[in-house]
Amino acid sequence: MSVRRRPGIAPARRYSHWPIHIALLLVSFCMMVPFYWVLKTSLTGENIFVYPPSLWPVAPHLFYYVDVWYYIPFARYLLNSVIVSGLAIVANVVFNAMAAYALTKHFRGRGLIITLLLSCMMIPFQTTIVPAYLITGKLGLLNSYLGLALPTFSTIVCIFVYKASFDAVPRSLIDAARIDGLSELQIIMKIMIPLSTSAVATNVILSFIWSWNNFLWPLIVVRDPQMQTLPLGLSRFLTYHENTTGALYAFCIMVLLPGIVLFLLAQKEFIRGLTSGATKG
Amino acid sequence: MNAKGFVSLALRNRFVMVPLVLTIVIGGWNAYISLHSDGIVQGRVVTTDGAPVAGANVHIMEQNFTTNSERGKVVTGADGRFLITDNRSHNIQLRADKAGMGRSEQQVVRLFFRAQNVTLDAPLVLPALPR
Repeated sequence: MSVRRRPGIAPARRYSHWPIHIALLLVSFCMMVPFYWVLKTSLTGENIFVYPPSLWPVAPHLFYYVDVWYYIPFARYLLNSVIVSGLAIVANVVFNAMAAYALTKHFRGRGLIITLLLSCMMIPFQTTIVPAYLITGKLGLLNSYLGLALPTFSTIVCIFVYKASFDAVPRSLIDAARIDGLSELQIIMKIMIPLSTSAVATNVILSFIWSWNNFLWPLIVVRDPQMQTLPLGLSRFLTYHENTTGALYAFCIMVLLPGIVLFLLAQKEFIRGLTSGATKG
Repeated sequence: MNAKGFVSLALRNRFVMVPLVLTIVIGGWNAYISLHSDGIVQGRVVTTDGAPVAGANVHIMEQNFTTNSERGKVVTGADGRFLITDNRSHNIQLRADKAGMGRSEQQVVRLFFRAQNVTLDAPLVLPALPR
C-alpha cells in the first residue's frame, strides 16, 4: 500500500521524540523511586538504615497492613476523613461555582474583588488560623465534622478554574436560559456546571486532596480521639512504638491510596480543567 | 433512553465501574471473614524425630505493639494435635512445652484478620525425647 504525502507538509521525522521521552522517563523514575521505596518497605518492614539496601522486596507480605487496620482505629479515622472530605467537596463545588458565576458578570468593583481574592491567595492559612479557630469556636463547631471541613469550604484557585470555564460558555446560551425563565441559581446548576465538567473534576480532586491531607487544622480543632482524621492518626501512630517501620509505611500507603485512585479516575478531566482557560480566545 | 440502555451506559463508565468493583470486593472479603473467623487454631506438637507428643502444653500469646501477653494454654491429645478455639487476635505466638522434654521455639502466626481459622503447616517441635 502506498502512502501519499500531502504537498507542502514536511514528513515527520521518526524517533524525533526519543530524547524527550528518555528525559521524561528519567524524571518519572526519580519521582517514582520514593513511592516505590515506601511500598517496598510496607511489604517487607526492612529497616530504612540497613546497608546495603535491597532493591527488590525480600519475602513480601501484607501483614503490616493488617496490623495498621487492627492496632489503631483505622476504620474510624478513614470514616472521619471520608466525611470531612465529602463535605469539603460538596461545599467547594457549590460555593466556588456560585462565586465564579458572579465574577463572570460585569458590575462595579468586580476588578477590586478579583484583586482582593488574588491577594488573599498569598496569605498562608497558618497566619489566619487563630481567627479561624475563634470563629469556629463561636459557631459552636469545634470537635465536629462541619468545623473540620469549614476552612476548606471554598478555595480561591478553584474559583478561578470555574471562572475560566464559565467564561467559555456562550452568552447567548445564558440569555436563552434566562428567557426560558431560569433563575440565576438554576442557570448555574443546569447550564454552567454541566458544561464545566472538567472544572468540576479539577475542583473535586483538589478539594479532596487538600482536605484529605489537612493536618494542622484538625490538630487544633479536634479534641476527641474518635474525631481524628487519618493525618492525625498517622501522627498518633508514630508515638506508639519506635519499631514500626513496616506498619508505618503501610499506613502511609493506606492514606495515599484513595487520593491516587481518585486522581487516576479523573485525571483526564483534571488536566483539561486546569488548562481550559489557557486556550480560550 | 430506556432502563437497559442506561444500565449499559453506566457499566461502561469508570466512575460507576470502579466503585462498583471495589464495593463487590470489599463485600466479598467481609463475607469471607464472617465465615472464617471462629478463632480456631489447629496444629501438632512433635519431637525432633517427628513423633507426636501427647500431653504437651501449648501456650498462646497475643502480640500487640508493645506487649506480648499470654492468653491461655491447651493440652495436646494422644496424636499430638491441639485445638485452640478462642483466639481473638490476628497476631499470635505459640509455644509448646512438656516436663522432661523442654520447650519448643516460639512460633509466630500472622493472620489476615482477627480470629481467622487456621491450621498450622509446621508443627511445634520439642527438642528432646522423654527419658
